[in-house]
Amino acid sequence: MFTKAIMTTMLTLLLTTAGFAAESASLAPRSAPAVAASTPQSIAPARAQAVQALPEAAKTAMPAVPSPPAKVRPNRAITISMFMVIIGVTLGVVIWAAKRTTSAADFYAAGGGITGLQNGWAIAGDYMSAASFLGMSGLISLYGIDGFMYAVGPMFSFIAILLVVAEPCRNAGKFTLGDILSFRASPKPVRAVAALSTVTVSLFYLIAQMVGAGKLMQVLLDIPYRVSVIGVGILMVGYVAFGGMKATTWVQIIKASLLMTGTVVLAVLVMLKSGMNPIQFFTDIVGNQNIQDHVRMNVLKDALPKPGFDYGQRFMEPGLFLKNPLDQISLGIAWALGAAGLPHILMRFFTVPSAKEARKSIVIALFINSSFFFLINLIGFGAALYLSPQLISSVDKGGNMATLLLAQKLGGGAGSIGGDLFLAFICAVAFATILAVVSGLVLAASAAIAHDVYVNIIKDGKADQQTQVRVARITSLFVGIAAIIMGLAAEKENVVALVALAFAVAASGNFPAVMLSLFWKRFNTSGVISGLLVGTISALALVVISPVMTYPQKIADDARKIVTTLEQKQAEGVVLAEKDLKALDKARADFQKNDGGTSMVGLKAAIFPLKNPGIVSVPLGLLAAILGALLFRDKRAEDMFDEIEVRQITGLGISKASDH
Amino acid sequence: MAAKQYDWSKIAQNPKYLELKSRKRKFLFGWWLASSIYYFSLPILSGYAPALFKAKAIGVINLGYLFILSQFVMAFFVAIYYTKVANSEFDRLTDELVREFQ
Repeated sequence: MFTKAIMTTMLTLLLTTAGFAAESASLAPRSAPAVAASTPQSIAPARAQAVQALPEAAKTAMPAVPSPPAKVRPNRAITISMFMVIIGVTLGVVIWAAKRTTSAADFYAAGGGITGLQNGWAIAGDYMSAASFLGMSGLISLYGIDGFMYAVGPMFSFIAILLVVAEPCRNAGKFTLGDILSFRASPKPVRAVAALSTVTVSLFYLIAQMVGAGKLMQVLLDIPYRVSVIGVGILMVGYVAFGGMKATTWVQIIKASLLMTGTVVLAVLVMLKSGMNPIQFFTDIVGNQNIQDHVRMNVLKDALPKPGFDYGQRFMEPGLFLKNPLDQISLGIAWALGAAGLPHILMRFFTVPSAKEARKSIVIALFINSSFFFLINLIGFGAALYLSPQLISSVDKGGNMATLLLAQKLGGGAGSIGGDLFLAFICAVAFATILAVVSGLVLAASAAIAHDVYVNIIKDGKADQQTQVRVARITSLFVGIAAIIMGLAAEKENVVALVALAFAVAASGNFPAVMLSLFWKRFNTSGVISGLLVGTISALALVVISPVMTYPQKIADDARKIVTTLEQKQAEGVVLAEKDLKALDKARADFQKNDGGTSMVGLKAAIFPLKNPGIVSVPLGLLAAILGALLFRDKRAEDMFDEIEVRQITGLGISKASDH
Repeated sequence: MAAKQYDWSKIAQNPKYLELKSRKRKFLFGWWLASSIYYFSLPILSGYAPALFKAKAIGVINLGYLFILSQFVMAFFVAIYYTKVANSEFDRLTDELVREFQ
């Protein structure tokens, strides 16, 4: 009864929001400054850097590009209908799943009834974000091979999960990170810390996704930021609160299939255009005048060509975007270990009945994920060749619109039916992608609060199934509301740091704790707690003093440079174009606003030189976990090692999620 | 939960279990380490030995691009090889052991 009532309310609310969105958007002026807002998800460091890499001076020197449109303009009617189809289908799934969600195991682990194949698609759907789909191809289209190198990290993430995390966790765990960590430690404090870490990681990631989603919808459909954040928020809460893991899984499977379809079609169209010949494709890229000009003027900033220097070939060589090798190694550590410590990914292993199925699902996810990143490379280079980097960066400085622009072009061009349809489809894919990722995160955070904190700490594990499910549903509602509020508040914030942080905390806190729990006899309560706390806090502390934060003083300094350059031009008697005058006004305002300002923690400039803290915080977290365990030995935890080890290796006594 | 109680320390001494454990450990951590070394050689070499990346291999395609592609091949290989070994060896040993104790 309870479920039905809330579901009806949600549906009504949702439809009203959608209606409002359509209405307010049609009222919104067409000339809304869409370019400023891009999609700052995990890839967004690209944007920050790209902005620096393209100072006004260089841009004015840009050669005339074949008629650049100011923004991507999807056909609203077609795109909104496609969104509605996705919402309709997924809500159908939720109604189906809600009827079948009666126990805690149903809610958190879909009753263990997901097959390896389904789970593989769902994991891929949980992991591939809109940031990769839109941002990574953009990065490749602007910086060539460096963008492709960036994609290797998220691809490689699955190796650690496959070899050392998935099967042992499936064998020894039940629903959450807390279940694994508290196995032989004293349950209450460990569950509390694990829940705290899970909620932190998931909320950081969630807020970044919500802000990205809001800005993306704003750019694509002129839907106000607030409306899209609330709309996405209502949908994700609806999926999770009613459908639990079953609905979340199917939303992720639907999303992954849509995303792969879109990606394969785009990549095939790119290859068809170059006669299915990869060598010819890359030869064309290297010989392309637009790409050569872009590399020379916008990236390397050589006003005059260096004699004999092959700027086209330079696009195929590293170092245009990723400049600091230490930063890359640090980021690599976060990718290699962080994904394996993400609570929403860990949780997915428990939806399959056995370790063998868990293995199968990771292998499938690895194949989907790797194919995806490989195809993104063709799409990115294709966008550079068939659209030109100048056009892509004129629409969005970080290149986040490259995939969408390419879809429009390959579908038949702006205004054509094919172009409109294909662009609308790709927008819908991005939308589905966001929904699937945020749902997984809400579920993970709710599970930590409802299962670890409420059931196991407050109720000592004594709560009947009905209560557990009800609490989980209510919790997900609150998590969703919290995410919506924080998403709204963070509209103007720099959310790049949040994603870096989520991965860094997962790699520095969760990952060492999980590994040592499963593989080290001496590990115990104090080890878990000190490892999680030190890993989390050091990652947090290093990120807030790192270059990914916003430093007003730096913005002011950059603005001053622009002011000086332009004023000098004026002094020389050059009449500035309207665009330059606007830039001058903006720079003056930026300077006024930001001069003397400090970052969130009161810094004028970054203290820690790297964008990702992994190279320091992972060893710290690991060391703290080991020292904590060694300092306070725990006989019981050591005695219980045989049990957890036998369980994780053999699967004896495995928690059957269907037992209830 | 699981109705059956196991004598965990007895299983932990079982020779078959010890064999399974050591084989799994060697294989899993060995391949994890090897693939990580290969993976981290990408940022390390691209940062500290860029000349290697620039050497042309096939037409305009250079060694760097091929090296990145090889990372994908490596991941596919590890996944397929592990599946093969796990299906034929680890799962068989595990089944034998589980049958003995169930």
